[in-house]
Amino acid sequence: MVPRAKLDLQFKEEVMAEPGGEHLLRCLSCGTCMAACLIRRVEPEYNPRRILHRAAMGLREEVLSSPLIWLCSACDACYKRCPQDIHISNIFAAFRNIALREGYTPPGPVAQVNERTCVGCGLCVEVCPYDAVELVQKRVLGREKTVSQVDPAKCISCGVCAASCRSGSIDLVDFSDEAVFEVVREQFMMEAA
Amino acid sequence: MVDAARHPRINILSYAEVERVGGYIGNFKVKVLQKPRYVLEDRCNGCGLCAPVCPIEVPNEFEESIAPRKAIYVPQPQSVPLVYTVDLDNCIKCYKCVEACGKLEAIDFAMQPQELDLDVGTIIVATGFDTFDPTPIEEYGYGQYDNVLTAVELERLHNSAGPTVGKLIRPSDGQIPRSVAFVQCVGSRDSRYHEYCSGFCCMYTIKNALVLKGLYPDMEISIFYIDIRTPAKSYEEFYQRARNEGIRFIQGRPAQITEDLVTKNLFIEAEDRDLGEVIELEAEMVVLSTAAVPRQGAGILGQALTIPNDPSGFYMEYHPKLRPIDTPTEGVFLAGAAQGPKDIPASVAQGSGAAARAGRIMAADKWEIEPIVAVVWEDRCINATGRKCGICATNCPYNAIIVEPDRAAQVIPALCHGCGACVAECPHNAITQMHFTDAQIIAQLHALLAEKPEEKILAFMCHWCSFGGADNAGTSHFEYPATSRGIRVMCSARMDSDFVFEAFRRGAGMVLVSGCHPQDCHYITGQHHAAIRFDRLAGMLERIGISPERFRIEWISAAEGDKYARVIREMDETLHSLGAERIKAENKEVRPQLERRLRRLSEIPGVAEVLGLESGKKK
Repeated sequence: MVPRAKLDLQFKEEVMAEPGGEHLLRCLSCGTCMAACLIRRVEPEYNPRRILHRAAMGLREEVLSSPLIWLCSACDACYKRCPQDIHISNIFAAFRNIALREGYTPPGPVAQVNERTCVGCGLCVEVCPYDAVELVQKRVLGREKTVSQVDPAKCISCGVCAASCRSGSIDLVDFSDEAVFEVVREQFMMEAA
Repeated sequence: MVDAARHPRINILSYAEVERVGGYIGNFKVKVLQKPRYVLEDRCNGCGLCAPVCPIEVPNEFEESIAPRKAIYVPQPQSVPLVYTVDLDNCIKCYKCVEACGKLEAIDFAMQPQELDLDVGTIIVATGFDTFDPTPIEEYGYGQYDNVLTAVELERLHNSAGPTVGKLIRPSDGQIPRSVAFVQCVGSRDSRYHEYCSGFCCMYTIKNALVLKGLYPDMEISIFYIDIRTPAKSYEEFYQRARNEGIRFIQGRPAQITEDLVTKNLFIEAEDRDLGEVIELEAEMVVLSTAAVPRQGAGILGQALTIPNDPSGFYMEYHPKLRPIDTPTEGVFLAGAAQGPKDIPASVAQGSGAAARAGRIMAADKWEIEPIVAVVWEDRCINATGRKCGICATNCPYNAIIVEPDRAAQVIPALCHGCGACVAECPHNAITQMHFTDAQIIAQLHALLAEKPEEKILAFMCHWCSFGGADNAGTSHFEYPATSRGIRVMCSARMDSDFVFEAFRRGAGMVLVSGCHPQDCHYITGQHHAAIRFDRLAGMLERIGISPERFRIEWISAAEGDKYARVIREMDETLHSLGAERIKAENKEVRPQLERRLRRLSEIPGVAEVLGLESGKKK
């Protein structure tokens, strides 16, 4: 049951006022986005249609605190097919920005930088599709150096940075180079042996 | 149709186009181009001996290109009139058809196009609709996958008069599909293509599903939908029947259709919203319910008849509720899907309605027209003096003004709809509009601004939209300050720049000019001319020295009462923040320039008296 007190009827206005969230109310809940979504294939709980409807209904707390709003990878498979022309990944960006301001932290995990070995070449900054890495000046082991820094609000753990890094200084937590090598070893090298 | 063809007072001109329409209600002159069939209508008896011997086969339009037709053909076996036509683009002139026709000698390759001039009293436009080609919707695979069809193609396949004599076969292998999936709203309810709902597809899909279930009781039939719309009499019961017969209804719009390369079966991925899960349904055939779209070429006919289009491209009715069969052009009526997608019962009803509307006119000796027509003051029109003008005619959306050399412009009263565009645009003030003359409007203006004009907002409103909007604000109790005073004209096109100058000369605090949104203008292009004029005027006023906030242009529809109230509220705030003193000072400053621009105003018949009244008062 959803008690009246749980509904924040202003939430949809808040989302629509946030850049990216303007077209929240266009949604007719047709379900095309859910069917098109690449993320839902891996995470069945993730239902963009349902999340948009929750927001439109006013379930503010539920939407903002949910780890699901951080899963959208902005592949835009849904946007291309949406008959109401809603840029759904932008609406999720709006949710995220509101959540950050409310003090919610992205659940992660995100890419991790090994500041000792990072040489500050900036390759990861260049290749990141989500603009989630930047070069900063930091004090590492007593020395001032330029290292990369990941913005947890923007990183979706796609791993392009990890693949590009020449010094192996940026890696994904749960898809680390080590973990991937282990799978390769199990799947292929066992057979050779 | 056959009855119509045999009726002694009905003349069917087939294979013909309307080229031009002149005249006015009761007296239309229609030029028709009769295209050559190369078959003589009075000799061909439809026996069909010519077609079998013709060596040329081309796609058959009626059969949705599923089957061929010959270069000599009838569109479909029940065509009226049942006369063959030679498709000269594809005919190779082997003359085998002439041989087969024999003694009837009905084929004549020397036929020429003919122009016919018809005198008619009324016109009814019933040009129907076309269907949307779903090829651009790549995710549905039409045109890529053999077994994805449109609903119309399906109709031909299960029709016993169709190319397969009613056997539903898959294009890929000629087998009867054991499962069929229907996808609704393809191209409809889709802001990428057509926003509207086509209205009849839910019903025809349910019909098709029931027909297939009847022909093939074991067939698995699924229908993917956003909503099922079955509103009219007994439609809901029809839907219930389909559900009861085991046709599966899945609420969820498919995102993707893919194909099995071997079986050519299709996989439809959609969220089954009732389950809350995405399903992948395998079907041996998919049928897309495509949108009804405006007929190709409708725009050209619309231009000939001066019928505007609505935002979706269908012909615009005079009023969607009160006069849904009339067009803005008197004597021209609409029937059927040409006015908007609708099903057979609605089309038939509208057809009867159109006939009645037309019948009223033809049964009358005289017809009353609106008196608010434009009238030329011939002694003022410079075209009469040999100088070429014609600005009035250029601005007329209805071609209601004739401009001939060395003659004053002539208004055809029966064609004039009373927008007033010509009146406002005439550089010599040589044309006026009955009941909306410059003198009358300026008199209203003076009366409204007689006391403390600097505290007032003078609002010019168009009858159909913004005046309706202001009225709507009132009836809806949307509150706005009592500082506005309104002047109504029929169309924003009538709002002469001189009115605005005069308003500021008389000391108005602020001026609002308002009209319809571009696509709503009752007079087709009236708002368009007004918009250009107002933009230019805004620049002029600023250059003269009037603060830009004091002149506002707004497009407000009859339903936007809240917008009207908001605009007046905002203008009132601005009025107060500027303050009466500043406004009075500005008005005083710009007066000489305004008077210079208005020096010819008193030449206009009737205006001098109004101005005289004003200057006679003590002010």
